[in-house]
Amino acid sequence: MATTAQLTLNSGDIAGDPVNVTKLMTLTKAGTTNDLDQSSGLNRVHLRSTTNKVLLAANAEGNDLAAKVYIINKSEDASLYVTVTINAQTIGKLYGGDFLFIPWSQTDTDADIEIAATNWTSSTGDIPVEYALFHEDTDFLTNA
Amino acid sequence: MATTNATIDIASDVTDNALSVSNTTQLNTAGTTTGVNTMTSVTKVLASTNQVDLIATGSVSTTHAYVYINNPSTDETQHFKITIGDAGAGLPTDTEEIGRLYGGDFMWMPWDVNDDICITPSTSDDMTVEYMVFS
Repeated sequence: MATTAQLTLNSGDIAGDPVNVTKLMTLTKAGTTNDLDQSSGLNRVHLRSTTNKVLLAANAEGNDLAAKVYIINKSEDASLYVTVTINAQTIGKLYGGDFLFIPWSQTDTDADIEIAATNWTSSTGDIPVEYALFHEDTDFLTNA
Repeated sequence: MATTNATIDIASDVTDNALSVSNTTQLNTAGTTTGVNTMTSVTKVLASTNQVDLIATGSVSTTHAYVYINNPSTDETQHFKITIGDAGAGLPTDTEEIGRLYGGDFMWMPWDVNDDICITPSTSDDMTVEYMVFS
């Protein structure tokens, strides 16, 4: 049982020579070569609020354990963005089509991953967001 | 403007029905369909367990960027703590830990360029970190 993630970055014109980077990783438990063996599966939510919503609730038991998070803004409008925060610290903005793939340390129970449709209005329509969590511990609250 | 694409492919058989995700996005400036035009690519060797600035806000002139960080170590026990926040005071408590990159791990995320991205090696042995910033 294994989970792999591969990132490919390519550009023919951002530099004088083509840029091609491909990185493949197998998701493993912290500090080992043992595969991560638990997953939230792929989830989809529709945001229609400018206030922060808890996407993934931190569990202090997860501290020092491995967890990987995938989030994508599935909006087709390039101007609509989702602000991603951890413990109220803004990480960045996912504009329509953008995704992230990050490790997640649950240093304490305040380390929730929250998202907000910051520039949403009633006329913009919902912002669909998909996400998945891969982790290792046995007592994990995957959804708030 | 340049055209730069990022593709993520995730495959998992953790669940009874396998999960397969594949998405490609063009890296654009904030809120537009105009491609980013600046790229930084750096490799560093760190030989201390001190927290240090890896990517400073002053190195990017925009308010939206994309960051790739890779731990190329083949030792799965060696990790970097990746944190974000105000490291100006030099206190680890000023920053929020995002996660840990163990040997072979990478991360990819947007960055709002409000606070530095910092890194803390798990060992004082030479540890190599690679990163790229697109803005």
